[in-house]
Amino acid sequence: MAEAPPLLDVRGLSLGYATARGTVRALDGVTLAIPRGAAMGLVGESGSGKSSVVLALLGLLGKEAALAADRLDFAGEDLRVAAPRLRGLRIGTVFQDPAAALNPALRIGLQVAEPLVQHRGLSPRAAHGRAVELLAEMGIPRAAAVAQAYPHQLSGGMKQRAVIATALACEPELLLLDEPTTALDVTVEAQILDLLERLRAERGVSMLLVSHNLGIVDRLCDGLTVLYAGRVVESGATEALLATPRHPYTRGLLAALPRADRGRIGRLAPIPGSLPDLTLPDPGCNFRPRCPFAAAGCEAPQALHPVDARHLACHRAEMLHDAAWPAPDAAVADRAPLGGTLLEVADLARSFRLGRGLFRRQAEVRAVDGVSFSLRRGEVLGLVGESGCGKSTLGRLVLRLIAADRGSIRFDGASVPAMPPDGFRRRAQIVFQNPDTSLNPRQTVDVALRRPLERFGLAHGAAATREVERLLDLVRLTPAYRPRYPHQMSGGEKQRIGIARALASRPDFLVCDEAVSALDVSVQAAVLNLLEDLRDTLGVAYLFISHDIGVVSHIADRIAVMYRGAIVEEGPAAAVLAPPYHPYTGALLSAVPVVGARGRAAARTRLKGDVSSAPTEGGCRFAHRCPAERGTVCRTQAPPVQQAGPGHAIACHIPVAELARAPAALAVAE
Amino acid sequence: MSGAAGAATPARRRLPRTLVIGLVVVGVIALLAALGPWIAPHDPDAFAMRMRLRPPSLAHPFGTDEFGRDVLSRVLAGAHYSLLMGFGATAISLAIGVPLGLLAALHRGWVEEVVMRGVDLMISLPPVLLGLLILAVTEPGLFKTILAVGLVYVPIMTRLARAVALELLAEDFVEAARARGEGAWHILAREIMPNAWPPLIVETALRITFAILLGSALSFLGLGPQPPASEWGLMIAESRPFIAEAPWIGLAPGLCLCLLLITVNVVGEGLRDLLDPRLRGRGHG
Repeated sequence: MAEAPPLLDVRGLSLGYATARGTVRALDGVTLAIPRGAAMGLVGESGSGKSSVVLALLGLLGKEAALAADRLDFAGEDLRVAAPRLRGLRIGTVFQDPAAALNPALRIGLQVAEPLVQHRGLSPRAAHGRAVELLAEMGIPRAAAVAQAYPHQLSGGMKQRAVIATALACEPELLLLDEPTTALDVTVEAQILDLLERLRAERGVSMLLVSHNLGIVDRLCDGLTVLYAGRVVESGATEALLATPRHPYTRGLLAALPRADRGRIGRLAPIPGSLPDLTLPDPGCNFRPRCPFAAAGCEAPQALHPVDARHLACHRAEMLHDAAWPAPDAAVADRAPLGGTLLEVADLARSFRLGRGLFRRQAEVRAVDGVSFSLRRGEVLGLVGESGCGKSTLGRLVLRLIAADRGSIRFDGASVPAMPPDGFRRRAQIVFQNPDTSLNPRQTVDVALRRPLERFGLAHGAAATREVERLLDLVRLTPAYRPRYPHQMSGGEKQRIGIARALASRPDFLVCDEAVSALDVSVQAAVLNLLEDLRDTLGVAYLFISHDIGVVSHIADRIAVMYRGAIVEEGPAAAVLAPPYHPYTGALLSAVPVVGARGRAAARTRLKGDVSSAPTEGGCRFAHRCPAERGTVCRTQAPPVQQAGPGHAIACHIPVAELARAPAALAVAE
Repeated sequence: MSGAAGAATPARRRLPRTLVIGLVVVGVIALLAALGPWIAPHDPDAFAMRMRLRPPSLAHPFGTDEFGRDVLSRVLAGAHYSLLMGFGATAISLAIGVPLGLLAALHRGWVEEVVMRGVDLMISLPPVLLGLLILAVTEPGLFKTILAVGLVYVPIMTRLARAVALELLAEDFVEAARARGEGAWHILAREIMPNAWPPLIVETALRITFAILLGSALSFLGLGPQPPASEWGLMIAESRPFIAEAPWIGLAPGLCLCLLLITVNVVGEGLRDLLDPRLRGRGHG
C-alpha cells in the first residue's frame, strides 16, 4: 500500500544550544510526521522543547544553536535550506501573544496585507482588499473598519484573529500554532478554537498545535505527540492516546490534571522531581528518575518503537499496561468539619479612575461593585471569572491591601478597619500567582521566612530557626533550602516558599491569587495537594482565585462566579457546576476545553465579544453578551438574586425553573 | 529533589574586563592626585620667568607655562580638584535626589506632585545657567562649584530613584510585606533598597563623568577655584592666549581630563555590565 508522503516529515531532529554551563540538548531525536490536512498536537511541560521544534521548522534558531536531523522535510523540500523561502508563504505561524506579534504602529490591514505584497507580489491596493476579505473570514465584524484600526484598539481575541488572518494570507499548507490561546480568556479561547476548527474543515490546512493544555489539543487535533525533556515519549491518535495513555509520563500528566468534569476527587497524583539537567543528557530513559515504574533496563536507550497504532519510547509500557498509577500518599488526614463563620464581606466596592488629565473627562472603572460573601473556617471559596472581572482586586480589598470605596469586612466577629491591626494581618495572608516576583530576589529563604515570625513576635533566634525548618517541612522542602536565594530554585520550589511565608504567621485565612496558575501540571498537582493538606490539618480557609475552572472545581467547597465586578452566581461547587446556572456560568463552563469530551461541540454556548465590550448602565452587566437576553428588562433593570437551592444564589431575570432546563455544559463523568 | 541544581553553583560572577581596567586606571589617577604635592618634580606655584613657555623636555615633561611654572607639577597638583568635583557633586546629588525620589514614590499624591514639579522646574533650567545662578550670588570656590554641580544633577537622581522605587513597589514581594503590615521604613530599607541600589549605582558612576566635565566647564568660566589654583579647567582657560606658541599648557590638562573622563565612564559601563541584568551577556564576549 503506497501511502502519500506526509506534508511535514521530521526524523531524528536534535538541537543543542551552547551556553556557559555547556551544551544544552534541547531536542534529542524528535520524530513526527503530519499528513496533508491533518492536525498534530505537540504537548509537554515548560522546558520540554516544544517551542524549539517550531523555531527549528521555521529556520529561526539563533547562531548558537546546532541543528542536526536525519530528515526535516516539508512537501519534499529540505527545510534546512528552504525554510526562509517557505515561511510566511507555505508555512504560516501564530505565536502565543497577539499583542507582541502585531506591530503597534501599523494599521491591522497593512499587516495582514504585507505577506501578500511580499510573497505574492500583489499591489498594495489588491492586497488590502484581500486583507479585508481575510479578516471577515476570520469572523471579524466590520472587517473594513478593523483593517483601518491600530492593534491597541482591538481586544485580545480580535488581535489573535488578525494574526491568524496574516498567517493564512498566502494560503499556507501548514499552520504552526505555538500556544495560540494561552494569553486569552477561556470564552475568547473557545471562539478562536472554533475558528481554527472551521478553517481546518473549510481550507484543509494542516496544523501543528503546540500547547501545554491537553483539552485544547483534544478538541483540535487528530494526532498527538508527547514531548518530555527534548524527546518524544509517545505519539499516536489523540483520542486513543488520551483515553489509554501508555507511557508513564503521559499517564502521569493525565493523573496530575485537575479536571472540571470530574469535580472533587481525592488528591491529584503529582509527578515527583523536576526536569533533568539538559546539559548532561541521559543516554537511557530520561524520565527514569521520576518514573514510579522504573526498573532494570531503563538505563538503556529507549527507541521510539511502534506498539499497536502508536509509538512509544518505553520498554516496559506493555508490561505496565494494567499496573495502576500509584495513588498519592494515602495518609491524608481526615478533613475537619467546617467551623463557624470566619469572614463576612458586605457590599465591598472599589473603582479606579482612568485617563487622569487636565482636559480629559475622568472615566471610572468599577473594578469591584458591591460584593458580599462569607467564608467559614476551613472552607474554600473558589472565585472564577475572566481577566478584568475584578477577582484580584476583590482579593486585595478583603485583605485591606487597597482601600475600599465602601463596604464592610468582619473577621472572626470583629470589624476590620481600613488600617487593620496586627492581629488581622497575622491571621489573613496572601499567596501570589507569579513565583518569580513574589519573593524578594535579594533575600534568602531563611530571611524571608524568619521575618513574619519576628514581625508578629512568634519566635526569635534558635526558636525561629526551628520554626523556619518546620515551615519548610510543611511545604515538603528540606532545611537545606534555608540559605538559598530565589534564583537558585525552580518555579514550584519558589511557590512553596511563597506559601510557607504566608503560613509562617499561622493564619486562619489565605487569599490564593492564581496561586497555581504559573506552574506546570505536574508541579501544580503537588502544590494543590499541599494546599488541601494544609486546609485539612490546619483548618485554614481560602479565597481561591483562579481563571482555571478545572483547578477551582477540584479544590473549592463553594464557587463564586464574578463578572464585571459583581458576583453573578454563588453556591456549593457541585451546584454551580451543574444547571441551573447563570447564563454566564453556563457559557464559561462550556468554553472550558476538557480532555476526552469530543462530542461536546454541539452543546456549546458561545458568547459574543469579550469582557471589555460595551458596558450597560443600570441593567444586568452581562446583558449585552448574554445568549439568553430577554430584551429591555435585562438592559434596564438590575437582576434579582434568586435562590436556586440551599446556599445557591443566581442574579438573573430568568426564572430558576427555566435556567434549570439549560443543557449541562460539563459532561460530568459517570 | 533537585538538590544539586542551585546550591552547588557558585553565585560569584566574573567581573567584566572593562570594570577591572577602568578601576585600575581610575585608582592610579586617584593615587597620583592624592600624592600630587609630594611627587611633583617642581613647586607647582613657583614662578621662573627665565623658563617661560618652554616646550616639553626631560626636566619639564609637559613643558612650562607663561610664568615658567612646571605644567606636569601643576597638572598633578590640580588632579584632586577634578576628582573631588566629580565624586563630591555626585555624592551630593545622590544624597539629596534619592531620598526625594523615594519620598515621591512612597507618598503618591500631593507630596509627589510638589517634589516632581520642583524637579521639573530644575530640569527646565540649563545646567550651566543653574550653576551660574548659584555661583553668582556667592563667592566662587571649590566647594561652591561642587555644590552647584551636585544640585544640577539632583533632578536626574530624583527621577531615577522614583522610577526604580515605583517599579519595585508594584512587585508582589512588597505587597507581601504590606500584607504583614510592615511599616514604610521596613519596606524601604529591607525590600526596596537592596533591589534599588544596583541601578542607582550604575547611574551614579555614569553621572560622575558629567559632573567632572561640568565642574571643569564652570572653572573654565572662572566660577570654580581661583588662580593660582591649578584646576584643569582653569588651566585650560589660562592657556588660551598662548594656544599658538605653547599649546602644551592647555593640552596637558585637557588630555588628562579626557583620560579621566574616559576611564570613569569605562568603570560606569563595567558596573552596568555587572549589575544590570538586562544588559548581561551582551557584548564583552
